[in-house]
Amino acid sequence: MESSTSSATDTRCGFSRAFREELRTVFTDEGALLLLFFALLIYAAAYGVAYGAQVVRNVPIGVIDESRTAASRRLVSLFDAGPDTFVAYAPTDMEEARELLFRRKIYGIVYIPSDYERRLLDGEPADVAIYADASYFLLYRQVFQELAATIGLTGAQVGLQRLVARGTDLPQAEAVVQPVAYRSANLFNPYLGYASFVMPAILVVIIQQTLLIGVGLIGGTRRERQPAALAAFAAPGGLLRRMAGRTAAYLTVYGVTMAYAFGLQYRLFHYPDNGSAAVLLLFLLLYLLAAAALAQALAVHFRRREDSLLLLLWSSIPVLMISGVSFPREGMPGWLYALGQLLPSSHAIDGVIRIRSMGASLGEVLPQVMWLLLLTLLYGGWALYGARKRG
Amino acid sequence: MKGAAVGLVLRRELRRIARDAVYRWLLVGLPILSFSLIVLLFEKGVARNVPIAVADEDRTPLSRQLVRMFDASPTAEVRFQPASSLECERLMREGRIMAFVRIPSGFERQVLGGRPAAVESRITGTNISVNGLLARDLQSAVTTFSAGVQLRLLTAAGLSAEAAEAQLMPVRFHKHVLFNPWLNYGYYLVPGFLPMMLLLLTALSTVYAVGIELREGSAAEWLRLSGGSVVAALAGKLLPVTGMMLLWGGVMLFVEIAVVGVPLNGSLGLLALATLLLVLAYQAVAVTVVALTANLRLALSLCGGYSVLAFSFSGLTFPLMAMWAPARWLSCVFPFTYYMQVVIDQLLRGAPAALSVPPLLGLSLFLLLPAGVLPRWRRLCTEERYWGKI
Repeated sequence: MESSTSSATDTRCGFSRAFREELRTVFTDEGALLLLFFALLIYAAAYGVAYGAQVVRNVPIGVIDESRTAASRRLVSLFDAGPDTFVAYAPTDMEEARELLFRRKIYGIVYIPSDYERRLLDGEPADVAIYADASYFLLYRQVFQELAATIGLTGAQVGLQRLVARGTDLPQAEAVVQPVAYRSANLFNPYLGYASFVMPAILVVIIQQTLLIGVGLIGGTRRERQPAALAAFAAPGGLLRRMAGRTAAYLTVYGVTMAYAFGLQYRLFHYPDNGSAAVLLLFLLLYLLAAAALAQALAVHFRRREDSLLLLLWSSIPVLMISGVSFPREGMPGWLYALGQLLPSSHAIDGVIRIRSMGASLGEVLPQVMWLLLLTLLYGGWALYGARKRG
Repeated sequence: MKGAAVGLVLRRELRRIARDAVYRWLLVGLPILSFSLIVLLFEKGVARNVPIAVADEDRTPLSRQLVRMFDASPTAEVRFQPASSLECERLMREGRIMAFVRIPSGFERQVLGGRPAAVESRITGTNISVNGLLARDLQSAVTTFSAGVQLRLLTAAGLSAEAAEAQLMPVRFHKHVLFNPWLNYGYYLVPGFLPMMLLLLTALSTVYAVGIELREGSAAEWLRLSGGSVVAALAGKLLPVTGMMLLWGGVMLFVEIAVVGVPLNGSLGLLALATLLLVLAYQAVAVTVVALTANLRLALSLCGGYSVLAFSFSGLTFPLMAMWAPARWLSCVFPFTYYMQVVIDQLLRGAPAALSVPPLLGLSLFLLLPAGVLPRWRRLCTEERYWGKI
């Protein structure tokens, strides 16, 4: 009776003492405070500003119009009218257009040959050449789509006029010109905002990376300063409870910063928000548990205060890429993608995007939930084993 | 005299490197690891067989032909053929498909009967790189299919093959993709990410090299060894980092061109010069930040954040042209922005050398930074109150 009561008190003490101690460490150690509290806020805001404009509109292009006829001018005005391009220059020849392109004044060139209108009137196919700059992918896409769509539309109108001129009635002519109408729409991010695409993934990665480095800094500092404290840390039965207490401290700190990142910042910058808040909260909680477990597993191995900064900072970009979310997973070797599944962030990016942007239910992200639980156990076990071995 | 002092500091530094495993990781292990990861990630460079679903409500020879054309497109692979679009939406939320297409019932009857039929697609906007590829391929599959039908209708109406062709495409456009004709993601992301790794490791190892002297209070001994010359003290210390990072810079250019196969359309000499200046610029920033903070840990946090953020502000993915004005101004404070201009101009575009002069000058300006903190470095190395800060 006696002993069971005292061990119950121990349980509470081990947990709540570790919780309070760790919170105090986070808020009194400037290094830990910067990494575990301010870093998420600063990075989220900085990336938010970089991608704040979301979309690329009015990309300047140059048109070389050698036809100089009503028909060619109509085509040029259509390029100007579209949302994605505007005709900024009318170079006289390709040499001048090239020069403008190299000087980043334009990102695409249209060449309309001198026989453009004559061929249209004679019922022959007319030619237009387009040169799109592919050294910036987003600009390429805007320029190419706008130009191709405009030329396609102009062609369809000409085709329709010719059929009608030949005596076909209008509805039939329309069916011949476009036997299959194609309508395409983008889901969850209708205007293809860059931030709406990349920010959810970036926020998720920042959470994991700051945890790994911040907890690593605390672990390294502890190891450096007070090797004797490790013995107390390894007190029989107390290890798991202390780990739980520390994890609770990280959850508390991240609860505050994530409220900004996933709450206020989402509102301010209008990222897609189609999901259930409850499912998102639960999922983020599981993610934090897995990431905190990994952080504590790695922290055991750092000998000095700065080691985690030196050894982990570089990994943020590969960690984002390997999740297969910003760069398509079909474009990378399968084994590398599989290796990336060992990172909590890979599952969390996938899950957060599907819950928040697409409105997935808990059932629809069940595999990711299971993975996060599995990784929590795996890394939690590693952290315990490592701490015990050190003790 | 000064050369001898540099030599003494250099020898001391090499002994430190030999003793310190983290230092060796920074100079050797992590460059190899991070470069390999990036190269392997973009080894394929293009995405193939992205899963999509087609809800074929018509189930006729003609609709099946269209399904086959979607499947044969470079990016898409028809992995599911569910009965309804509702099921397609669920598949998408489950992460199994990136797009779905609906072919309505009566499709064949309408098309052959000379009445327009509508095909609808929905593509996820949550991954805009995949979205771009799928949008292009699905559209061109329908266009090709549609052209085939048109040709059939026109020849049936009695037009000659030639006349039908002219009717089909009254305005032909000739497409030229400049500078990256295969639209290979690897060709523009690898030359972006590899220098990111290089500059990050350069900044961290430089901060570490000089910051550790303050942290451990060995700065006085370090300055004494250099005969009291701050310049000699810094030079001797930074030489191993500079040397290793320049070596990795050379490896980087070799990997980009010879291993990844990015076309070299401009001047390799200018690329090499830019890489040299990139390494020196981040070393200059690192030396300055350590001087201002006198704190190894804080300098690492600041330089690390500064280095990582450079990518987003460089305009490589989200173009500078489209950024908010304040973001565009901010992009000027990162050496990487100038470096990427030289890379785009000299690696992909083959632009005239004169256009690379302004960004190269921009990079060089960062080299002046340490001049402003040299007096402070002397104080840091002599006054004990700056030591041991964590």
